Amino acid sequence: MGIQRDRVRFNVGGKIFETSATTLANAGRDSMFGSMLDENWNLQSRETDEYFIDRNPACFSVLLDLLRTGELHIPAKIPEKLIYREALYYGLLDNVRTAKWGQFDGNRLTLAGSITGQAPGDGTAIRAGPLGGCCVAHGSMVHVYDWMLEEHSPIYLDYQRINDVGWIDSENIVVSACERLGRGDGGMGLFSSSTGDLRYKFQVSHENQVKSFTAGAMSFSSDYRIFASCKGRSNEYGIGVWDQVTGKQSDFFYESPDWSLGDADRLQWLQNSNCLLVATLFPRKDNCYISLLDFRVKRMVWSWSDIGAPITVHEKRVRDAIAMEETNSICLVNEYEDLGFMDLRRTGGGVKWSSRRRLMKGKMPDEPCYPKLALHGGQLFSSMNDSISVFCGSDWVLTSRLRRSYGGSICDFSIGGDRLFALHSEENVFDIWETPPPPLI
Amino acid sequence: MSTQKRRNFQIEAFKHRVVVDPKYAEKTWKILEHAIHEIYNHNASGLSFEELYRNAYNMVLHKFGDKLYSGLVTTMTLHLKEISQSIEAAQGGLFLEELNREWTDHNKALQMIRDILMYMDRTFIPSTHKTPVHELGLNLWMDNILHSSKTQTRLLNTLLELVLRERTGEVINRGLMRNIIKMLMDLGSSVYQEDFEKPFLGVSANFYSVESQQFIECCDCGDYLKKAERRLNEEMERVTHYLDAKSEAKITNVVEKEMIANHMQRLVHMEKSGLVNMLIDDKYEDLGRMYSLFRRVPNGLSTIRDVMTSHIRETGKQLVTDPERLRDPVDFVQRLWDEKDKHDKIISLAFNNDKTFQNALNSSFEYFINLNPRSPEFISLFVDDKLRKGLKGVSEEDVEIVLDKVMMLFRYLQEKDVFEKYYKQHLAKRLLSGKTNSDDAERSLIVKLKTECGYQFTSKLEGMFTDMKTSQDTMQGFYASQVVDTGDNPTLAVQVLTMGSWPTQPSVSCNFPAEIRWVCEKFRTYYLGTHTGRRLSWQTNMGTADLKATFGKGQKHELNVSTYQMCILMLFNNGDGLSYKEIEQATEIPAVDLKRCLQSLACVKGKNVLRKEPMSKDIGEDDAFFFNDKFTSKFYKVKIGTVVAQKESEPEKQETRQRVEEDRKPQIEAAIVRIMKSRRLLDHNNIVTEVTKQLQSRFLPNPVLIKKRIESLIEREFLERDKVDRKLYRYLA
Repeated sequence: MGIQRDRVRFNVGGKIFETSATTLANAGRDSMFGSMLDENWNLQSRETDEYFIDRNPACFSVLLDLLRTGELHIPAKIPEKLIYREALYYGLLDNVRTAKWGQFDGNRLTLAGSITGQAPGDGTAIRAGPLGGCCVAHGSMVHVYDWMLEEHSPIYLDYQRINDVGWIDSENIVVSACERLGRGDGGMGLFSSSTGDLRYKFQVSHENQVKSFTAGAMSFSSDYRIFASCKGRSNEYGIGVWDQVTGKQSDFFYESPDWSLGDADRLQWLQNSNCLLVATLFPRKDNCYISLLDFRVKRMVWSWSDIGAPITVHEKRVRDAIAMEETNSICLVNEYEDLGFMDLRRTGGGVKWSSRRRLMKGKMPDEPCYPKLALHGGQLFSSMNDSISVFCGSDWVLTSRLRRSYGGSICDFSIGGDRLFALHSEENVFDIWETPPPPLI
Repeated sequence: MSTQKRRNFQIEAFKHRVVVDPKYAEKTWKILEHAIHEIYNHNASGLSFEELYRNAYNMVLHKFGDKLYSGLVTTMTLHLKEISQSIEAAQGGLFLEELNREWTDHNKALQMIRDILMYMDRTFIPSTHKTPVHELGLNLWMDNILHSSKTQTRLLNTLLELVLRERTGEVINRGLMRNIIKMLMDLGSSVYQEDFEKPFLGVSANFYSVESQQFIECCDCGDYLKKAERRLNEEMERVTHYLDAKSEAKITNVVEKEMIANHMQRLVHMEKSGLVNMLIDDKYEDLGRMYSLFRRVPNGLSTIRDVMTSHIRETGKQLVTDPERLRDPVDFVQRLWDEKDKHDKIISLAFNNDKTFQNALNSSFEYFINLNPRSPEFISLFVDDKLRKGLKGVSEEDVEIVLDKVMMLFRYLQEKDVFEKYYKQHLAKRLLSGKTNSDDAERSLIVKLKTECGYQFTSKLEGMFTDMKTSQDTMQGFYASQVVDTGDNPTLAVQVLTMGSWPTQPSVSCNFPAEIRWVCEKFRTYYLGTHTGRRLSWQTNMGTADLKATFGKGQKHELNVSTYQMCILMLFNNGDGLSYKEIEQATEIPAVDLKRCLQSLACVKGKNVLRKEPMSKDIGEDDAFFFNDKFTSKFYKVKIGTVVAQKESEPEKQETRQRVEEDRKPQIEAAIVRIMKSRRLLDHNNIVTEVTKQLQSRFLPNPVLIKKRIESLIEREFLERDKVDRKLYRYLA
């Protein structure tokens, strides 16, 4: 009542802490401290002037320091997990997560950890979640990890081989899998990331008949659509489109006889141009097909293929492609990690290759992996064998290289939630790279 | 899930062993249940937040989340049932206040309960896909209070009654209203829509349907619109005060439909106060109100526009077909002009300068101006009048305004070539008689015509100006070459006019007096000497002469006369009396012109330098004329006009018309050839359409005329009919 004193006294598990109401206000209303100091709970003056909290004082000290400074420093003797558990109790888990690592910068990444999984066989894909978690697809299972890198219940869709996974939001994951012959299973499903439960199964209809299908690569747009390359049984190949909110199929772009869409390895939604990049690459097909689809006019507005191109080493073996909207271009990578660029504004232009082969040193690993590309915050990332290269600037200069000797070649990597996850092929291990919080001064 | 929880459990085991007390959950829940009771009873001060928070945490941790959650539902439902009873018991006007108070309390309690159960809300609820605490509290409120059979209808009726009371002028507690409506919105937009908005819109529609019926029976159009506007504003105000902003479009829609759309026709055509009366009386404010209200409903503006159009057409038609008006062309055009100004002003002040209204106005003018075939002539006469005298002492900007308005009227004309004909005639008269008032204004108008209709349209007009200028130079050259002093010889001023540029009539030359013939010959020699290969012919019907005359008592006058008149008067140098026949023989002036000249010389008071016998108004073939030596005048200079009607006489009109028709023929043919050259093969109807399109900037060609021209072209083998389909024409290159 009356004038609230700024000073607050806690007795946590017998240890006295003093702090100020303003410091505690950093916890936000949606935390235990926010509720505790709310006037609803403080209508009468208190008999004692201290709040008793029956919790671990050492952890409280770390969290109080977090509220005071915004920085998280966990003493070596306290396990991280203990801090997370206490933060959950106080409702401070989000504060801990945002203080744990800094804003993503490809040139300042440090290795934060490695997780070894128990799945047999090669990894298919790794995908970063929006809040710093990730999921890893192996064969017919998806293992889900939260940002604390704790594993949740795994996901499977009828134990069919999984082709791609993706996060709708921190709670929901979409999995695309092969069709199970004769049973109408497989296809695409929406799963809870915390429990692994199947929540929804996406369907494809052709001429008002629901058909079973194999879903390949996926992409998500900010206007809540899901795109996936689809293969049906009666040559119903193409790109399916679903609404994320209703789950209903909203469109289907059939592939034409001389082009490939339903087998595509990579889909990428381009926000500004309102188009979808579809790329089918070697070795899925003998030739490489890259195109931009505009669903508003139901037309392929840009396309490129290496069919009929002179058989040079470069172009015949494009292994990945990514569109860069800022520069209106598409970046390609071949199996020697040479980068090539194409102009998106006109069809029929050639590829400008920049050879980097002489930069490559070291011997080839036992089990090589195809290069992959990613774009994040104006930085271009390319994986090759056991390392990831970072390119910056308008000329895409090589600025950093991430490499770890353990685990063998990198078969996939993904950036999201301000973290980079790299999945290795040999030892079934994935690495977490993150940018440390900014320096003190 | 289970593996994860087991791991959590193991860490917990580090600190203290959990003894699984079978009554543990029950005990803990009792504490929390008690706290919830206390919170609802406004007795929370004795509670320890930390303890309650920890207990809720422990229940979830030890897998009693389900018990906690279902306990919460039961306890909260219990309290809400009690609250429901106390709300139902509230008397009359206190009902809303009680509801509002309990709602505020419930919200506060809900917040505190959620504070205690925060850990459950964060962990147990998402993983079991249950409804979060806050939402649960709102749902239970809705089920137990709002949708209890007694409260639901009572609440709706109370709210609707308050709105009705406010509509009839009472003051209500808007703050309370706002709180209750906000409660409905907090419970979800569908609750607000179903429990309030839909019935509200229905009741409003009834209310305004009845009210508009009353208004329309007893108000005139202007008053009705004022009332409708006020109602509309009231509803919008109501929305800002206590309804959801999204309701605004819906409720205004209701008012618009009931008060405007349903009565639109009746309002517009209301006797003595409808749209036509407003237009006649320039009621800008009422018109503006009608515009802004009608634009809100479908077909509203087109209704206004249609009535306005037919009104303008009707009044315009009366104006242009009134025989009274045909007497004075200047007044005729001035009235058109005023009519246009009036409606322009209405459109700009009341109709928001609406483009569609401007178009309607223009098309109406185009319609009725062309109803009168003499409009082109009258507009040209109007310009003539302005350029002769109307623009004296007027500033340059004002001249421009006048010219622009002339152009505006010009644009409405379909027969622009007729206008051109008249304009040329009038311009020629102005130039030759030196009557033009301002060279700048003349040229400015020609520039405007040129921008409007193209180079072709004005090239001849411009040629006329050039002729005037060259003639001046020629005359200077002529006099410089005449070394001999001309002495008593008449001074000659010649305007050399290019054939074709000027509206020349096939001139019947007259006999000049000897003195004149002599100087004319000299000029001819000079001119043909400097320009080879040309032919000069005298346009005696267009010239003027200044004569010095001495009358009976020695009074001297200078007479300003036409060439014909000069020829006649010169005859009287040699004799005082001449008969009509003698004059006709001597001068060989065409009879019509001769009669006119004699009439103006002998029969006009104050200008009668000749005397006629017998005295009468008209000239007869047997009349005799004498030099009137008794002639007097106040002025030294006497201008003797020719008796000519300013307007054309009937045969002249026919002639002009005929010439226009004659000129159209080659233009139509040229258009047909142009079209066929590019199309090669075309059917009759399409040719007519295309030709009309090409020529409409100059005139509207008559389809019959086009057909005749096509036939003529076929005869001359420019086109041929298709051998199979006779409707098709083929171009023969």
